[in-house]
Amino acid sequence: MKGIFSVLVENRDGVLSSISGLFARRGFNIDSLAVGETDNHEISSMTIISTGDQRTIDQIEKQLNKKVNVIRVRRLNEAKSICLEMMLVKVAYNASNRSQLIELCQITGAKIMKVMPKHLLLEYHSDPEGVEDFIQMLKSYGISEIQRTGPIAMEKG
Amino acid sequence: MTGAQAMIECLKNEGITKVFGYPGVAIAPFYEGLYNSDIEHILVRQEQNAGHAASGYARMSGKPAVCVVTSGPGATNLITALATAYADSIPIVAISGQVSSDLLGRDVFQEADMRGATESFVKHSYLVKDPDDIPRVFKEAFYIASTGRKGPVLIDVPMDIQNRELRKNYVYPEGVSIRGYKPEIRVNMNQMRRVVTALNQAKKPLVCAGGGVILGGGQQLVKEFCEKFNIPLVHTMMGMGVLPKKHPLNFGMLGNNGKPYANKAVSRADLLLIVGARLADRAIPKPERLEKRVAVIHIDIDTAEIGKNMGPNIPLVGDVKDIFEILTEQDIRVTDMSWADELEEIKHSTVDSRVFSDRFVNPNTLVQMLSDKMDDDAIYVADVGQNQLWSADNYVMKEGRFLTTGGMGTMGYSIPAAIGAKFYAPDRQTVAVCGDGAFQMCMNELATVRENGLDIKVIIVKNNYLGLVREYQKNAYDSHYEGVALGEWPYYERIAEAYDMPYFRCSSTEELDEKLDRFLGCEGACLMVCDVSGEDNVK
Repeated sequence: MKGIFSVLVENRDGVLSSISGLFARRGFNIDSLAVGETDNHEISSMTIISTGDQRTIDQIEKQLNKKVNVIRVRRLNEAKSICLEMMLVKVAYNASNRSQLIELCQITGAKIMKVMPKHLLLEYHSDPEGVEDFIQMLKSYGISEIQRTGPIAMEKG
Repeated sequence: MTGAQAMIECLKNEGITKVFGYPGVAIAPFYEGLYNSDIEHILVRQEQNAGHAASGYARMSGKPAVCVVTSGPGATNLITALATAYADSIPIVAISGQVSSDLLGRDVFQEADMRGATESFVKHSYLVKDPDDIPRVFKEAFYIASTGRKGPVLIDVPMDIQNRELRKNYVYPEGVSIRGYKPEIRVNMNQMRRVVTALNQAKKPLVCAGGGVILGGGQQLVKEFCEKFNIPLVHTMMGMGVLPKKHPLNFGMLGNNGKPYANKAVSRADLLLIVGARLADRAIPKPERLEKRVAVIHIDIDTAEIGKNMGPNIPLVGDVKDIFEILTEQDIRVTDMSWADELEEIKHSTVDSRVFSDRFVNPNTLVQMLSDKMDDDAIYVADVGQNQLWSADNYVMKEGRFLTTGGMGTMGYSIPAAIGAKFYAPDRQTVAVCGDGAFQMCMNELATVRENGLDIKVIIVKNNYLGLVREYQKNAYDSHYEGVALGEWPYYERIAEAYDMPYFRCSSTEELDEKLDRFLGCEGACLMVCDVSGEDNVK
């Protein structure tokens, strides 16, 4: 099963390595991890996505809670959450497929950030599955570079 | 005031009168502060033993004890002791010197990343980057070490921070405010009611007590609970002493090194009430089988322990004292006497089929006789190996303490831990029992024993082997003994002579009575070697 954790931590040196180290040494998977400051610059927010059996996911929550630098751990319900990921991608084009690619961007809502002689630099955000689908669609054009933020998530209501 | 002076003031504010340590240049400013203070520094002979000594001291006092080391190798030497204290939940505040903060990360002489290296062996750690943080950091460190599930906390202090003047006036904080650390847990009464219901439904309830009961000071309350409702008890190695050994409801230590009748009690019970135990592999080798068959209540102060090794039906998080104060007052049906009788019968019908060589000292008789002869409030420190298991098996606890490392199983724990315990309780008889392997890992501390005039009796259970590994190789690898023969070395008599200690040697069970009397009656520290057959096994 999948575990989506929204974790508030103290924004101090060593905290990120302490959290990622916890996953490493207890054999928990990290599928993705996204970190950023909150409105309070002393506190950072992390979205951690992991997979494992029920016991593992429970243990992750408990072990995170044990960390002195962890302020709050919430396990998000996937169905009740907004989960978004952003991606920057450089896609190759040529004279024959350029308009087709631009049309694809319009349909999917991807933004063209920069037009280069042989590549378009696109920005795209969606739920993680949407990002995967979009990557599949771009593959036939040729992807030269890709950067993904990893998903961030928040519960509705 | 300099950072180093502030560190000393913090220790005074915490009521620390003794620290165990080993100096070096990176911690020298702090030692200058010690020189000018009333805090007593006890010089050990290797840094790991400063940690074990602090562990022994903390286990006796119930409060955090302090060890101090220098940067680099001094600090890395301490890691095993921190890991030991972490596995055994012992409150320690460890102070390590560090290279100057402007040199951090440059791999200069004696630099080691202690925060990174100890991440998984401490409850929390600090790298101090501003001398004005020192009072807050120390206050937090002592608080974190001693509350909730206890454990070691590391404070790494670069040398320039120790030397630098504080900008603000020194004020030791009265309280702590750590956003992510709230150890006080109120007992969940809904869960408590479920526990009571389960107890009322059970016909064969069994308490399984771990070291957490002792660390939480809950022995008396758990004892009252068992007695009031007539519920039998088994315990882990760290839970020895929750009930006196000869208590009619005590059915001994469980696990693959425990009593067969304790394990039978577990397999016959219909409800397990696990208290302050993590039930690691040594205690319950196949938890997934057990949890399918029996209802499990798991009481622990550490939420993460619950469900880690075994899935409970009813978790109850909180302080053992709070929980048992409430639990004992509940309306619970007294368990029928037939359950304890059934266990008593199993206990009596269990035949010990082990054969011990009669040419040497019988290790079981040794521990039994020793515990008979020891003072009621004596401290028995067992090392790791066969000696630990023979000790746990046969030691009859009265009002005293049994100290050992059941969690990490660190060889060489006994002598330094005995030193720490003796410093806390100088009037209590203290005996360290170790094998010839473990002794050679900590015999350098005999110098600390002698230098401080400590009356610690050291018994070496000598069989010329790393006995427990040998026993494992015998059973698992068809007696292919590899790397386990210690040979005759050293000449223990000469070791005793080198440290100017009286020396005793006992080579047969017949001599034990008289030799032990002389050994225990001897004034001051002394050394006794008991020859045990290399063929003697724990199981």
